[in-house]
Amino acid sequence: MTITASLPAAITARDHYAAAPDLPDIHLPVRVRGGVAGFVFRQPTVALGLFILAIMLVLAVFAPWFGTLDPTALAPAKRTRPPSMDFWFGTDAFGRDVYSRVIYGARVSLVVGFAVAFFASAIGLLIGLVSGYVRAFDSTIMRAMDGLMSIPPILLAVALMALTRASVQNVILAITIAEIPRVSRLVRGVVLSLREQPYVDAAIAAGTTTPMIIKRHILPNTLAPLTVQATYICGSAMIVESILSFIGAGTPPMIPSWGNIMADGRALWQVKPYIIFFPAVFLSLTVLAVNLLGDGLRDALDPRMAKRL
Amino acid sequence: MFGFLLRRVLSTIPVMAIVALFVFSLLYIAPGDPAAVIAGDQASPADVERIRESLGLDRPFVVRFGEWGWQLLHGNLGTSMFTGLPVVELIRQRLEPTLSLMAVTLVFAIVAAVPMGVLAAWKVGSWLDRLLMAFCVFGFSIPVFVVGYLLAYVFALELDWLPVQGYTPIAKGLWPWLENLILPAIALGFVYIALIARITRATMLEVLSQDYVRTARAKGLGESTILFLHALKNAAVPIVTVIGIGVALLIGGAVVTESVFAIPGLGRLTIDAIVRRDYPLIQGIVLMFSFVYVLVNLVIDLSYMALDPRIRY
Amino acid sequence: MDRRKVLKGLATTGTLTATGGLAMPALAQSARVLKFVPQANLANFDPIWGTQYVVRNASQLVWDTLYGMDSKLQAKRQMIESEDVSSDGLTWTFKLRDGLKFHDGEKVLAKDCIASIARWSVRDAMGQMLRAIQKELVAVDDRTFKWVLASPYPKMMLALGKVGTPCCFIMPERIAKTDPFKQIEDYVGSGPMKFVRADWKPGAIAAFELNKDYVPRAEPSEWMSGGKVINFDRIEWIIMPDPATASGALQNGEIDWWESPLPDLVPVLKRNKNIKVDIADPLGNIGSFRLNHMHAPFNNLKVRRAVQMALSQEDYMRAVVGSDDALWKQLPGFFTPGTSLYSEEGGEPLKGKRDYDAAKKLLAEAGYKGEPVTCVVGQDIPQIKAMGEITADLLKKIGMNVDFVATDWGTVGQRRASKSPPGQGGWSMFHTWHAGSDCASPVGYIALRTNGDKAWFGWPDNAEIEKDLAAWYDAKTLDDEKAIMARVNKASMENVTYIPTGFYLGYQAWRANLSGITNGPLPWFSGVKKA
Repeated sequence: MTITASLPAAITARDHYAAAPDLPDIHLPVRVRGGVAGFVFRQPTVALGLFILAIMLVLAVFAPWFGTLDPTALAPAKRTRPPSMDFWFGTDAFGRDVYSRVIYGARVSLVVGFAVAFFASAIGLLIGLVSGYVRAFDSTIMRAMDGLMSIPPILLAVALMALTRASVQNVILAITIAEIPRVSRLVRGVVLSLREQPYVDAAIAAGTTTPMIIKRHILPNTLAPLTVQATYICGSAMIVESILSFIGAGTPPMIPSWGNIMADGRALWQVKPYIIFFPAVFLSLTVLAVNLLGDGLRDALDPRMAKRL
Repeated sequence: MFGFLLRRVLSTIPVMAIVALFVFSLLYIAPGDPAAVIAGDQASPADVERIRESLGLDRPFVVRFGEWGWQLLHGNLGTSMFTGLPVVELIRQRLEPTLSLMAVTLVFAIVAAVPMGVLAAWKVGSWLDRLLMAFCVFGFSIPVFVVGYLLAYVFALELDWLPVQGYTPIAKGLWPWLENLILPAIALGFVYIALIARITRATMLEVLSQDYVRTARAKGLGESTILFLHALKNAAVPIVTVIGIGVALLIGGAVVTESVFAIPGLGRLTIDAIVRRDYPLIQGIVLMFSFVYVLVNLVIDLSYMALDPRIRY
Repeated sequence: MDRRKVLKGLATTGTLTATGGLAMPALAQSARVLKFVPQANLANFDPIWGTQYVVRNASQLVWDTLYGMDSKLQAKRQMIESEDVSSDGLTWTFKLRDGLKFHDGEKVLAKDCIASIARWSVRDAMGQMLRAIQKELVAVDDRTFKWVLASPYPKMMLALGKVGTPCCFIMPERIAKTDPFKQIEDYVGSGPMKFVRADWKPGAIAAFELNKDYVPRAEPSEWMSGGKVINFDRIEWIIMPDPATASGALQNGEIDWWESPLPDLVPVLKRNKNIKVDIADPLGNIGSFRLNHMHAPFNNLKVRRAVQMALSQEDYMRAVVGSDDALWKQLPGFFTPGTSLYSEEGGEPLKGKRDYDAAKKLLAEAGYKGEPVTCVVGQDIPQIKAMGEITADLLKKIGMNVDFVATDWGTVGQRRASKSPPGQGGWSMFHTWHAGSDCASPVGYIALRTNGDKAWFGWPDNAEIEKDLAAWYDAKTLDDEKAIMARVNKASMENVTYIPTGFYLGYQAWRANLSGITNGPLPWFSGVKKA
């Protein structure tokens, strides 16, 4: 662990381009190359994430055109068939085609994931900003958030689901409510730390208005951690959806969601692993894609890094 | 400092009150009737009504809440409707398995994740970073029950190294206790390793690009000193926050893990209570969770002060 | 070589030194301890107050009954030594066996039986009938009591010895004096095992200890009758909500006996040399599609019949029990197959090819105009969830407007009691099942009652069926009974009181080193031995 050996690597990836002397020659033409190929080369993970997500989106939107059958059609006589030419991913305990259900399932999981990430981040950001910046509200808001947060999210979601009937909207609502306090707390933590930065002090001293300070100094700096958190929420919302279904308090059973398919197959995982395998792979791939994309966005959104480029 | 502590402890009382009221009113508007479950499928509607009366479920919200609050002031959490056992006893029975599971998971996750995150940030962009982050993304992407089933299949059923299920109290020996917790802790820990390692890497990257790290490097300080003494300490606030959040998430994750590995913990007790609408039990558990949570947060807030002197209370 | 044992052995030595030798070595499971995984959680322990099957199954270990049912569904003397009925059938005199003791050492006296009968009879359907004709129920001496009735009740012994819930368990007088609508707090029993209150963790474990003072009858044990001989010092009921986990635990030998393995997992268990699998209860279960006769659309007989003629029991049964055809049977009737009152009279609508077009036609004829069918389905009970999926599919196929409410059983329990219209908090249909042992006769078969407002949820109304059901209790010969029940079967089919979704059986599985496991409506621990 010597300094000389590790110094270039310790600085972020993009410093490679700045610190030209260290670089092998092969990197040089890359900067010049434009278009899709260039993007893929510069941002392989983002590209991979986008690629997977695009596939999932296409599958979700055009599900009926991908050789699927009616995902809710029961055929008890053909139950638990292993994967074959007729049933690519096999059939579940009710004889439904797992392939069709998985393809249609992309709709539910994507909608749940994105909706929860969006609503939870937006509301959480707002609450966190206000709480972190406006001292007068801080204590009250944080106590209420603490109260909400002190109930474990899955339990809160289960309790909320017990309130109403199972539906996709209610799943989104339940997971969003459970996620908001976490976002707002994270944002508040960052804001608290930022508020003590000299440049914020300087801005206040210069008479900049509070909204302007929030807009110019606080907001941009919260975006990076918020994006990391939002990607996490998006992925975790999809997983929480599957867990809610696993407990039997999630999406209504007729609607094919990856969680529901796995819940139907979970007791049989030892004998019919394919029922749980395919939706698990699709879910994992999608969450993976979201996270890769988030990582890329984080790098792109980070103002300090942007400046250096 | 003392004033802060006093304020925080005093301010927990409204938190508890908010939670209690919130949960109570949720329950009140929630459908579901414990009397119907108790009476069984064959019971006549009249019998169900009689049981409801004897449980006091026919009385209005305000009366029930007031009565419960009055009991609570006397340190009494009431009696579970189904089992007839005191709520305190039911919670006490289940506390040890859940705390054990959480402790083992948390230790396992922190020990694995923080070095992973630091390493990834240090070697950012390298294959090691990619590998570690790929692992994290993987950890995020698999539902805990799938990991649990996989682990149980490989290490319990096929290899027969560890038990499939169950819990042994720590009083019966360290290994019997740990033996039952290894697989659940790994299953549950997966997502926390991912969470903590990611946030460690993200904040470390930020810190490593700061001027004082450059200065430290310029001064010729050792790389490990820079990483762990300067950078990690400065990155600690978000990391500790996430670990704190993790504790609350752990309780939720424990619900599923406890079902998969048949661990008689609080998670399962809560789900059972919610499904059966055992109101006094739900309230007792939620109140206890709030209490634990408030405590954890207090510790986190205090640790902010220790970790980042710029934060003042 | 068992790798885990080696690991355990190594680790144990480590622990012993680490904790100064205080730790208990991880012993191989003792032959005197039985680990049993029941069908459901033992959430309460009062068999009169809570009438779930699992409570009864645990209670039969702890409390004895006056009579016990054998495998021919006949009530045999259990705590009773002899009974005497007067020639007019109005006065019953019961004498208790000598040497009966409660777990606290007190003798079982006539007053205990009277108090127990009094509490039970408030909650039980047959008990309520007896209460209605009861003149007096008094102790004659310590071991004898007398029950005087206003009219004869030939099914007396059946009432006191039936297996349907609630059973007439005998508790000490002070406990039996508890309000029947309140839970008991004291578990002093009269049976072969004692309930270990300190080890009871509802949702996780319940434990029973051998009652060394119990005096079993001399006859061989059969179901709830005969000499109950327990060969274990301790029986542990371990609750496992996840069937995959229970399956793994059984394969690994962590548990001894699993009451209700998932049929789809049974092939794996059967392949394992160390595990034995057999039918649990030959009387099985009857699946139920329960309709609300009070509100549209099912208040219309033709609509009910349209669903009945389209309903495929095969679909339901495959969804419930899986691909194992040995586990289910078509049931064009309401009584348990294989029992003496079984009848297929009038069962044609449930047989043969399913005709969706004819059902649609009948719906149109009935004037069905797309009123929503509110299906209230508990998702937390696998069999009910499975039936619900089939129902949603079925109703859509015949063009009905399905409003599917996926919820939990607690909510179903509440909602089904609502007599409001479906749109205003009420319901149109729900699923449940009835244990075959409860459907062998009108005793305890309240789902068959059609006394309108007072009937079971769904409130079917049909005076004729009611008349025949009442006539059965007075029937003198089996042929009379059969004739009456054939009429009831036909009329119930025509009335579509409810729609049976089929008859199905369940498996039980146990480690091969257990012997003496038999089948019946509940798990019998008497005579079971562990090598």
